[in-house]
Amino acid sequence: MRRRRRRAIRFAATLGLAVLVLWSIEATIVADTDWQRIGSPAAVLKSVSRFLTIDFGLIPQLLVPMLETFMMACLGTLLGVFISLPVAWFGALNATPFKPLTYPLARFMMTLSRSIHEIVWALIFVAAVGLGALPGILAIAMRSVGFISKIIAEAIEDVDPKPVEAIRAVGGNGFQVLLYAIVPQVLPVALGTVIFEWDINIRRSAIMGLVGAGGLGLTFFRQMAMYNYGGVTTVILAILCLIILGEVVSTAARKALI
Amino acid sequence: MPILEVKDLRARYSARGPEILKGISFDVEAEDFLAIIGPSGAGKSTLIRCINRLVEPKSGEIRLYGAEVTKMAAPELRRLRRNIGMIFQEFNLVNRMSVLDNVLSGRLGYVGNLRSIFRMFSRSDIARGLELLDRVGLSDQVDKRADQLSGGQRQRVGIARALMQDPKLLLVDEPTSSLDPKISREVMALIREIADEFKVPVLCNIHDVQLAMEFCNKIIGLQDGIKMFDGPTETMDRRNLDQIYAMEVL
Repeated sequence: MRRRRRRAIRFAATLGLAVLVLWSIEATIVADTDWQRIGSPAAVLKSVSRFLTIDFGLIPQLLVPMLETFMMACLGTLLGVFISLPVAWFGALNATPFKPLTYPLARFMMTLSRSIHEIVWALIFVAAVGLGALPGILAIAMRSVGFISKIIAEAIEDVDPKPVEAIRAVGGNGFQVLLYAIVPQVLPVALGTVIFEWDINIRRSAIMGLVGAGGLGLTFFRQMAMYNYGGVTTVILAILCLIILGEVVSTAARKALI
Repeated sequence: MPILEVKDLRARYSARGPEILKGISFDVEAEDFLAIIGPSGAGKSTLIRCINRLVEPKSGEIRLYGAEVTKMAAPELRRLRRNIGMIFQEFNLVNRMSVLDNVLSGRLGYVGNLRSIFRMFSRSDIARGLELLDRVGLSDQVDKRADQLSGGQRQRVGIARALMQDPKLLLVDEPTSSLDPKISREVMALIREIADEFKVPVLCNIHDVQLAMEFCNKIIGLQDGIKMFDGPTETMDRRNLDQIYAMEVL
């Protein structure tokens, strides 16, 4: 009896799931796509193949945006780290200076930073400070705070309390406890996290230009607007080069530091 | 005239938790090397941590060189702690810092925030640190990281850090429990020598009765937060010991 009932439940659940998937396909793909415009399979292939050329003439014009993208990632990460340090301090239960106020404040900052997409941050800052690399840097910094500060806050919460006790016992104040007993223990985790975030930020800064915040994304957007598909491919390859560079540097840095 | 007077000291970790110290009173004289013995959970560590208020006592009096410790506000308490050296069971060193920096951290109570960021200790402090490391036999380990040393060596760093404070009182919490018997004896002997050399009174938790009898001139026996024995080492006998450790026998 029970076996049969369980089987019936399983069947109903599977059926319900299948209906849900089919309905999603119908609503989002079948009904929402402009099938007339796609045309024949050959036409689709032809459209894709337009991207398969490289516009070599564009390369000299890419060097400055590439550099800008790289610098945006570096400065954004650096600024993000500066903002993250107090947030991490406030957000660690065992170190926060005034629990009822500073702890929720820090947790709110962490969530806010991560729940808003970097493009949305960039839109906000473009509106605030205008076009260029600055809004991109600010956006990357804000987007980095959540992850960096959360990991550091957790590392602070996991700190070995014995050195803390020792520094308190010699008459050290709260700041000295932080500096001598907590920072040395947290430093390896913090460095690793910052390098990791920098690596991610190179990817982020490559698309900042799509909303007018400088770097390679802006060139990408212009090539797209000019229907210069070879140029688009060239920009994508440039982004790829930058990301590989970031990967190599961050791996080397992690090995050297930790 | 005792340098440390403790009267009716009571402590508990939470309002509803059990009382850890149930009214302890004792005195420490200037030349004392006083051992606190007793089974695990008797309240030895809590007692010693109440003296420099790493643990807040609930009631009672602690008078150190005439000053009432229990009523001190935070800045005054920090000034007091500068004068109380502490040696820990698990050394409590900062592992990722050099041996010398660990010793110098004993001076932090005298160093401003800005200077402590850059580990800018005065020339005389550094000279003193090197001298003390030489005294505890570690002059060739100065620049190593603390976690590269053996247990016995780490405890010697802990001793040098405490001496760096020019302490008026040494609190010693189970200095030998993380060490093997031979090293334990060496470390106890070193603490004893240093106490005589620097003329500093010592209050020492130790569960090893043998070491206590050998190195200390006075013994306090604790059991379950109550003082069961208090007297010169010579007056300690089999019967007193049985009484202190009765809980374990049962």
